[in-house]
Amino acid sequence: MKFAALFGKEFRECLPWMLLAAIVLLAFGSFFLRAQAYDMNPNRDWSRGYNPPGTAVEAYRLTFNSPLAMLGPWLFCCSIGLGLILGARQFWIPNFTRTWPFLLHRSARRTTILTAKLTAGSTALVLAIGGVWVSLYWYACQLEVFTVPPPARVFIHGWILVIMGLLTYLGTALSGLSEARWYTTKIFGIAFAVIIVGVTTGEWSLARALAVIAFGAALLLSQLFDTFATREF
Amino acid sequence: MNDTVLQTRGLTKYYDSTPAVDHLDLEIPRGCICGFVGRNGAGKTTAIKLMLGLLEPTAGSASLLGCDSSALTPAIRQRIGYVAEGHRLFRWMTIGALEKFQRAFFPKQWDDKLFREMIEYFDLPKKKKIKHLSNGQRAQVSLALALAPNPELLIMDDPTLGLDAAIRRQFLEGMIELIMRQGRTILFSSHILGDVERVSDRIIVIDKGVLRANCSLEQFQRAIRKVVLSFSGDVPGQVDIEGLLHCKRGDKQLELTLVGADDEKVAALAKSIRAETYNVVTMNLEDQFIEFTAPANHKRLFQWEER
Repeated sequence: MKFAALFGKEFRECLPWMLLAAIVLLAFGSFFLRAQAYDMNPNRDWSRGYNPPGTAVEAYRLTFNSPLAMLGPWLFCCSIGLGLILGARQFWIPNFTRTWPFLLHRSARRTTILTAKLTAGSTALVLAIGGVWVSLYWYACQLEVFTVPPPARVFIHGWILVIMGLLTYLGTALSGLSEARWYTTKIFGIAFAVIIVGVTTGEWSLARALAVIAFGAALLLSQLFDTFATREF
Repeated sequence: MNDTVLQTRGLTKYYDSTPAVDHLDLEIPRGCICGFVGRNGAGKTTAIKLMLGLLEPTAGSASLLGCDSSALTPAIRQRIGYVAEGHRLFRWMTIGALEKFQRAFFPKQWDDKLFREMIEYFDLPKKKKIKHLSNGQRAQVSLALALAPNPELLIMDDPTLGLDAAIRRQFLEGMIELIMRQGRTILFSSHILGDVERVSDRIIVIDKGVLRANCSLEQFQRAIRKVVLSFSGDVPGQVDIEGLLHCKRGDKQLELTLVGADDEKVAALAKSIRAETYNVVTMNLEDQFIEFTAPANHKRLFQWEER
């Protein structure tokens, strides 16, 4: 009940940003896919909702240069941007509104409060960016639009970008909690997340990318729990 | 049952090299209403935050309801109400949503009837968002949220700051509502000595982080006295009396502020320095507090020259 109350409060605070990011990504993504589909298939009759016979696009062209994959930079920007915003909303804004004492003085452990915050923030990010990504993949898979579905690795790489947003979120949260000055260790959270994101972006092996992400997330999480337990509010 | 609800032992907090709270030794017995007073920057908020485990002490310790402040368990926090300075609540929430949120942490002890009555008494619309409330209304919501779980110990950090006289009175009446319940203890910091005088039975005075007084209100009011001595001849250059706080010289008069000087001591002093007459001036709590915490060489802001 306590966790549910904390989660509900945190999720509600994330909701406007989550919806904004989802709407922007969904609107741009679907518009882009539709435009790409039209470019590749100019004879398509959109009013009928399916491809007329003899207008199929060659399969190899879509496999190696999927329109969905072209959305990567947009997905990356939205994911990183939402990660930054949610981290700031949950861990920086309370420093200015001075609501930490009210939140912390309640019959719940600090770890429970932090877990609720992180769960709500991560859920919001995954639902907004991941959810839209699944929708776009589904849309791109509709044979009526693209003739052949985008390859699964494009879908998986998209999820890596979603997870990069989570890393940014954790890094921003850590910087927000830090009481140090910017030019000292306060920058560590965001800087570390940026480094991990950079390393992962240049990493072509899925397994190695996941290993780097897992390492970064574990380090940021351990720092976050330690900082939250010992920080003065 | 332990009769001390709040205890600090050498509680100290430094910010860099500046002491905010300096070796604070306090004991607050169960069932008292304690006014925690001090000038701006005296260390009241820091001391309260240290007591609640929101800050880490540089040295010393504090305990609430027998539990060390640095490791207050959820079960102990459930028994302590806290009204933070400035009544900082979640601005986007409505009063109803905030009530629901707060109630989740006190499932068994939440007094729905009391909360409803207080909200009705203060005439607060439940659907209104916190960000649309005035400072006074936010204070009222804070108080209702803190009182509804029936806390054994209520700690309030300058709860009446910035409120007008009418709202302040309503707020104090709300506090009295809790006081009426047996065994409840209240610690509240305030700048408004009139409020302290009205509801407290104990006073703690802190100055530059150092504890200056911790006694019953009656004892404090009895202890601080101002005596005006009149002389027909010259005013004596030096006055030697135990408990002398301030000494102000006039043309034919000497004004002394004393701590712990009873009638006999004052009479003996007047006789020893050959005062023609003496008069003990009645002081209210605010005057007493100002005299008690004023530095020895304090000057008036505007020193008009007599022509």
